Amino acid sequence: MLSRSAERLYWLARYLERTENLARLVSVHMNLLMDLPKGVEMGWQQLIHINGCQEAFHEHYKLAQERNVTRFLLTDPGHRNSLFSCLSLARENIRTTRELLPDEAWEQVNELYLYTKKHLDSVSSRRMRVLFLNEILEGCQRFTGLLSGYMSHDHPYHFILLGRNIERADMTSRILDLSSLLLSESRSNEMRQYESLLWMNVLQSLNALLMYRRHVRSRIKGDDVLNYLILDSALPRSINCCLYEMADAIGKLPNHDKLPEDVADLKDFVLSIDTRQTTQLQLRNILDQLQTKLAFLHERIANNWFLAHSVDDAVIQQEQKAN
Amino acid sequence: MSSIWENYNTENAYDELMHSEFQPRAVSYNLCQYLNTLNKEDIDKRKTAAELAIMEMGITFTVYSDEGNIDRAWPFDIIPRIIDAKEWHIIERGLKQRLSALNYFISDVYDKQSFIKEGLIPDDIINSSKNFRKECIGMKPRHNVWANICGTDLVRDRDGMMYVLEDNLRVPSGVSYMLENRVITKRVFPELLQDINILPIDDYPTQLLEMLSSIAPNQNGRPQIAVLTPGIYNSAYFEHAYLAQQMGAQLVEGCDLMVDDDDCVYMRTIEGPEKVDVIYRRIDDDFLDPEVFRKDSVLGVPGLMRAWQAGNVALANAPGAGVADDKVVYAYVPEMIRYYLNEEPILPNVETYLCSHNEHLDYVLAHLAELVVKPANESGGYGMLVGPHSTAKEVEAFRKVILKNPRNYIAQPTLAISTSPTLCKDILEPRHIDLRPFILQGEKTFVTAGGLTRVALKKGSLVVNSSQGGGSKDTWIINREND
Repeated sequence: MLSRSAERLYWLARYLERTENLARLVSVHMNLLMDLPKGVEMGWQQLIHINGCQEAFHEHYKLAQERNVTRFLLTDPGHRNSLFSCLSLARENIRTTRELLPDEAWEQVNELYLYTKKHLDSVSSRRMRVLFLNEILEGCQRFTGLLSGYMSHDHPYHFILLGRNIERADMTSRILDLSSLLLSESRSNEMRQYESLLWMNVLQSLNALLMYRRHVRSRIKGDDVLNYLILDSALPRSINCCLYEMADAIGKLPNHDKLPEDVADLKDFVLSIDTRQTTQLQLRNILDQLQTKLAFLHERIANNWFLAHSVDDAVIQQEQKAN
Repeated sequence: MSSIWENYNTENAYDELMHSEFQPRAVSYNLCQYLNTLNKEDIDKRKTAAELAIMEMGITFTVYSDEGNIDRAWPFDIIPRIIDAKEWHIIERGLKQRLSALNYFISDVYDKQSFIKEGLIPDDIINSSKNFRKECIGMKPRHNVWANICGTDLVRDRDGMMYVLEDNLRVPSGVSYMLENRVITKRVFPELLQDINILPIDDYPTQLLEMLSSIAPNQNGRPQIAVLTPGIYNSAYFEHAYLAQQMGAQLVEGCDLMVDDDDCVYMRTIEGPEKVDVIYRRIDDDFLDPEVFRKDSVLGVPGLMRAWQAGNVALANAPGAGVADDKVVYAYVPEMIRYYLNEEPILPNVETYLCSHNEHLDYVLAHLAELVVKPANESGGYGMLVGPHSTAKEVEAFRKVILKNPRNYIAQPTLAISTSPTLCKDILEPRHIDLRPFILQGEKTFVTAGGLTRVALKKGSLVVNSSQGGGSKDTWIINREND
């Protein structure tokens, strides 16, 4: 398998996972805000914080209210981590690797892209936005199902798993980072009143509410939720589970060098976290470290398997056209 | 006839499907019968279905403009073009004959040059051809075939004869659109395809794979085959990816390949370097190897020519094959067929005036307003003059261009190229078409059943290139004997 193709499939999976995560995040958040009274310190700006793009947002928008935030996160082509940008990049990556995937995989991503492009304006209406987000979620799920049902579980597939799970772990850590605010000592009484609702929302943004109820079988409590989302070994979006999947994919790929040890180190770090013993500040610190370690793991993967980039993209484009 | 045939006028050219406004040809009888059962609304539904399929399958080509690259949906006309299998089999023989002679000619050019020495073509035509590559002298590609993949453009004139307009021997494109057009037609007119005996075309990728395998340097075991593309910004990228996928070959860009000290070509894979045996290259000679051709090329592979010359990798088409893809050399193909094969050409050339030839040049300059003048080495319909469709000012400007470099121009009479019914808004109108069959030559020779029919969608226009507002149609070769 070509190094370049490995890189593009890895990014295809990352961008599609990001697309799906964004859709779920906005959708769940919308539901939550409909339940909360006005004035609780959980508003639209939180979504900007989760995605770590405060600066980019304020370059173009003043107020972090519903209309601006949803446009910024979902359809703004100028924001490189908007849902539409991610989907466009996923499409570019699959366009250059379609020979490695089942035919329907390209058509699926292409259709989803065309759908999104056609409905960019509809997200300003809440009702239309619900439909739009559902369509995106279903499209991403169809893609995942299609690959698991039709694609040989060979090297290309393992690069897809690798990309998907590193992105997942990253998103889960971001959501946890934000939810750690709920543990803050200084939180308002009003917020305390709605606490279990808020924790349910956290679980739902990772599609984990039902699984939590089945596995934890207790009242929904902050530190239990955090522990569950970090450490559970069966929940597909728990950090532990993502790391397990990555270790598995890495183990099945050739020339993996010292990467299995790197993942094992990261896993040890994660397994040593106990949210019941940490303050909010400590937790935020741990999650920050986790994100840095994930970024480092990405670097290691890229250096190990992908092509080194040397030539300026603009020069290449020019020549490709001329040819 | 139903209303979609309102004012169908066959007077201006030979029409492929209709004798006259009301009378279909024998070969298109069934199709016309069927179309008559559809009203405008039915037709419109089929058209929408086809457009949707094209969007979803992502069949595109890229157009460049100052505003950036636009990925355009492939313009497709749902009404097929039909050729009788009896006529087709003659054309098929003619195409094989032609490519065979061209390959003898290219081998000769890079070897003994007997065709030149016997005075059958002036040597300065070869020496001044920018596609003649001195680096190729003495090379002997497997089976003595240099042009393994050829797209030959055919047009039918008013007299009903098929003529060869040009031979594309460098990196001819369009075959993926031919294949996808059939897929779409099957979706849009399923009932029709069941009832008519149309020759299938979908074995092309298999034939291509077989041909490429047959030229591998080492014939033991399964060769590693790669399609070398300039990349995503190339207008034919869709086709490169499509063919690689259909053949199960690797799609590579220049940066994926390297030539090692052993003069072998390797792909950079996640498992380390992996040897490549055959490269179906979709990059022009100029960009192929910066060590030999254009030094600034970032698309090519340094050392590729070295590996090819050492016989460690097969390139299709071979470097230098473009020497026969020159509109001046074209004029000599009938003579090549007589010389190398000792046969009479089955498919005629269009009468051609060479501006390098003094008498011809005088004729051309005196008749510019009636002729089509083309540069010898351009493709895509660029840089040409269609006399009857140009203003006096344009004609005069072109006169100066020709005089500056006569070697670079040829002229041909403006043909009344044939038309075929094409859906325009909600009625059928005649539009001019051509045909590009694809011919493969390796150990064996193969011709696609039909080819890519391109159609000039603008009324009266003769330019069928997709980059200039052309579209395409599915092409049916119909066997009527078993009807």
